[in-house]
Amino acid sequence: MILAFGGINNSIVVVVLASAIVYGTPLLYAALGELLAERSGILNLGVEGMMLVGAVMGFWAVQRTGSLSVAIGVAAVAGAAIALIHAFLCVTLRANQIVSGLAITIFAGAAGLSSYLGNDLNLADQPARQAFGPILPHGWRTASVVGPIFFDHSAIVYASWICVAVVAVYLNRTRFGLNLRAVGEAPAAADAMGINVAAYRYVHTVIGGAFAGVGGACFSLAITPQWVDGLTGGAGWIAIALVIFAFWRPTLCLVGAYFFGAFSGIPITFQARGILSGIPPELFQALPYVMTIVVLVLVSTAGARRHIGSPAALGTPYVREER
Amino acid sequence: MLTPQEADSLFHTVRVMAEEGRTVIFISHKLHEVKAVSDRVTVLRCGKNVDTVETKDATPRSLAALMVGREVALAGRIERETEIGQVVLEVRDLWSVGDRGDDALRGVSLTVHAGEVVAIAGVAGNGQRELAEAVTGMRSSSRGDVTVDGRRLHAGDAREAIRAGVAHVPEDRLHTGVAPSLSIASNVALKSYRGKELARGPMLRLRAIREHAARLIRRYDVRGGGPDLPARQLSGGNLQKVVLAREFDGAPRVLVIASPTRGLDVAAIETVHRYLREAAAGGVGVLLISEDLDEILALADRIGVMYEGVIVGELDAGETTVEEIGLLMAGGARE
Amino acid sequence: MIRIERRLSQPRWLTFAVPIGSVIVAFGVMTLVLLATHHSPGHTFRRLFDTGFVGSQSLNATFIAATPLVFTGLCAAIAFRMQLFNIGGEGQLYLGAVFGAAAGIALGNHTGWLSIPAMIVAGAAGGAALALIPAVLRAFFSTNEIITSLMLNYVAALVINYLIFDSLSYWRDTSSATAKVFPQGKNLPDAASWPAAHIGSLVLPFGLLLGFVIAAGIWLLYTRTKFGFEVQVIGDSPRAASYAGMRTRRKILAVMALSGAVAGIGGASQDGDFRHTLDPRGLTAAGYGYAGIVIAALARYNPFAVCLVAILLGGIQNAGYALQGVDFPSGLVGVMQGLILFCALGGELLIRYRVRFARSSRAAEAAA
Repeated sequence: MILAFGGINNSIVVVVLASAIVYGTPLLYAALGELLAERSGILNLGVEGMMLVGAVMGFWAVQRTGSLSVAIGVAAVAGAAIALIHAFLCVTLRANQIVSGLAITIFAGAAGLSSYLGNDLNLADQPARQAFGPILPHGWRTASVVGPIFFDHSAIVYASWICVAVVAVYLNRTRFGLNLRAVGEAPAAADAMGINVAAYRYVHTVIGGAFAGVGGACFSLAITPQWVDGLTGGAGWIAIALVIFAFWRPTLCLVGAYFFGAFSGIPITFQARGILSGIPPELFQALPYVMTIVVLVLVSTAGARRHIGSPAALGTPYVREER
Repeated sequence: MLTPQEADSLFHTVRVMAEEGRTVIFISHKLHEVKAVSDRVTVLRCGKNVDTVETKDATPRSLAALMVGREVALAGRIERETEIGQVVLEVRDLWSVGDRGDDALRGVSLTVHAGEVVAIAGVAGNGQRELAEAVTGMRSSSRGDVTVDGRRLHAGDAREAIRAGVAHVPEDRLHTGVAPSLSIASNVALKSYRGKELARGPMLRLRAIREHAARLIRRYDVRGGGPDLPARQLSGGNLQKVVLAREFDGAPRVLVIASPTRGLDVAAIETVHRYLREAAAGGVGVLLISEDLDEILALADRIGVMYEGVIVGELDAGETTVEEIGLLMAGGARE
Repeated sequence: MIRIERRLSQPRWLTFAVPIGSVIVAFGVMTLVLLATHHSPGHTFRRLFDTGFVGSQSLNATFIAATPLVFTGLCAAIAFRMQLFNIGGEGQLYLGAVFGAAAGIALGNHTGWLSIPAMIVAGAAGGAALALIPAVLRAFFSTNEIITSLMLNYVAALVINYLIFDSLSYWRDTSSATAKVFPQGKNLPDAASWPAAHIGSLVLPFGLLLGFVIAAGIWLLYTRTKFGFEVQVIGDSPRAASYAGMRTRRKILAVMALSGAVAGIGGASQDGDFRHTLDPRGLTAAGYGYAGIVIAALARYNPFAVCLVAILLGGIQNAGYALQGVDFPSGLVGVMQGLILFCALGGELLIRYRVRFARSSRAAEAAA
């Protein structure tokens, strides 16, 4: 009996589903952050850079202090700090949000600040002093099927579920959330209502950056507890696509994150088990990227048909007196 | 935008609020609304307080003079000899899908003759914008046809409509009527850049484009800058003159013109109306789409009222009243 | 009290002063970063400047570094002009290198100088083909081209890795002794080596000169032709373009193809000018495509300015690689590029707006 359960838990479907949650978690954090920024009307294309800086600073903090909670805090602050640059450029200086976001990615990304910090703080080629591991009791974790899929995860995974709920309630059930949606849809109307458009945009872009930083730290503290240049491998960009895929709704972000997480997990699982070893590994590695494109196309045609769009003011600076 | 009946009820509410001891500041450029609702009127011009008068002492004419700084002829109906020619625009059973995915046009039919001004009245969002776009080829239609001078146009082909002689002054002049960051010269050439006068093969004749623009700027009295000024820096009235100059310059057969005076001051409205009358007198068939009933009554020969994507009534402009149009705009004919 | 007002006219000198000011401010911020991380700014900048721009040897290395950047910078500028954000210059350059190398290898030494134009055409075709994917998706399904073109960068990187490391493809060297130990690309035949112009002690790669010619062509196309006029209108206001009867979809396809083709030629130039083989490691490590975005933005999408900025950033990159080590950590180049770009973006505000410092509204009233 026990062996049979072990067998099920070790079956390819269960392993892939479990890995979907593991690899989906950084996407989920980053996507929630992007969602908050976009709901306020700020398009943040710098997610990848914010994730990488979060990853490197989180890793540094854990090496320094040995405390994972401090590390997550540092990662969030680092991501938020980078996001603050974006907010300043886009809100105060009214810069083109697309170019500013790209500038953030170049500045902070794999060949920029994150790599500089990683080098300067000598973080490469070290094992992590602490890493996130499963927290639930052994009995739960080994329960058949649901055990490995849902209960064999670390605190950072369960925290992400709480974040989804919090963001969903915040957006749909609080006055601040209502104001935020107003700022993203019709900043002029929101302004006339006495809502401080600039403050809302600043706050949510910065909180979004903190989420991205935590998402990056998922890589360096949980998935592959180490620091390597560019270890997020484009996850930030997939997270941006994910927000579109989720029609700007937090709960759909959860579904989407695990969907894309599965495609990131599949190549690693298959390779580890030698499944389909005749097929070049690059084909599997390209899966998350190709799937992102495919899903985006499906969503943009469906979105056009059902008229579910982005926040109306997304990407446009708000200037009071301008037409 | 409200029907006249709805507006009356709003003004009534505003008066009640004032009588309850509240302060109401009512901002409008509609003189009859100001007359109907206010106790005192302050006129602003160029960011300065020009004068404050008691409403009972003011007339629309005196307020207009304060607003413009000189005497103006208010938009009143000018009876004219309409020399109506043959049919230049015929729309038959036109259906089109709106931005929200529903049918915005549900079988519109109308004809416009040369030299005639046909107005479409209606509360915003009843398909007027879609009608203008479908006739000018900016929007595809799902059924029905548009015929200009006996030639059936392909649905959703703006270039063909332009070639057939359909001029279009769109509702959103800043983002549709012009490319706002480009120069006035570029915007004047927006439709004619393909022609022989302004291009040689694939190359543009930049000097010709500039001179062409300078000529039109003079003829249409566009003030605020020369051919190189970005269009967005013009005032609303001057921007509208640029659009009109370009559209009339193409010697159109049909002019589709939507909310041509929205947001303009009294003097600019006067100018736009004069150009419109001149166009009609010159034999252009004009389809005027407007929410401003005073404007419609002042300019139109015939009036069609749109409600929920269909024309619910056709009226003769000389014989109808604001009340009758208002009733139709609110869907009154249906009940 | 700071007030920001839109400028009614934009003085010409500002369009020069602001980019230069941006670079100066960026270096100022950079100084702070270096100080904060315990490096000597004076020493670092000095070495950076010497290695990047002083002496013909430095300049020649800078020209080599600048050559791909001219192409990727033009690639981004061409598309950005129409508000099409082609972030795929990186991948388009890889595919250009793949196609260019294929043409070079296939023609061998039989056709003499014809190899070079063949490589250029093949590289352009490769880049254009990849760029057409996001173009078609944008034109017919209104799919965001930023993300699709970026995703294809990762895919293109996997493709060239596959061709050399994980398959026995046409491009892979399977005969030489070293290739048995370490996978590498075939060496291109001599006829596929692009010439270089020697002026005194300066060596200008053929690719760089070709880039300048293409830049002039793009300038002509965008300022003097009907095509360019339509691109300007569509870029400024898509609604105005459709109002004027312009065929937006066709323009999206054409502009993206052109943009990809230019990046592709950059890839072919990597084969022909410098690497003489299909070199996945070298190409993917360099990040030419992303630097191209910085360059296009700094050049405000002007093709001639792209050439200048490419040489400037090429110098910084060249110095960055040459000096990589303890007092010049990797990543510094990206940080500097980012900072320059931030400052340029901030500077943009000064071009479009006037910043006024008013003491208080009462003081202003008293003055009036």
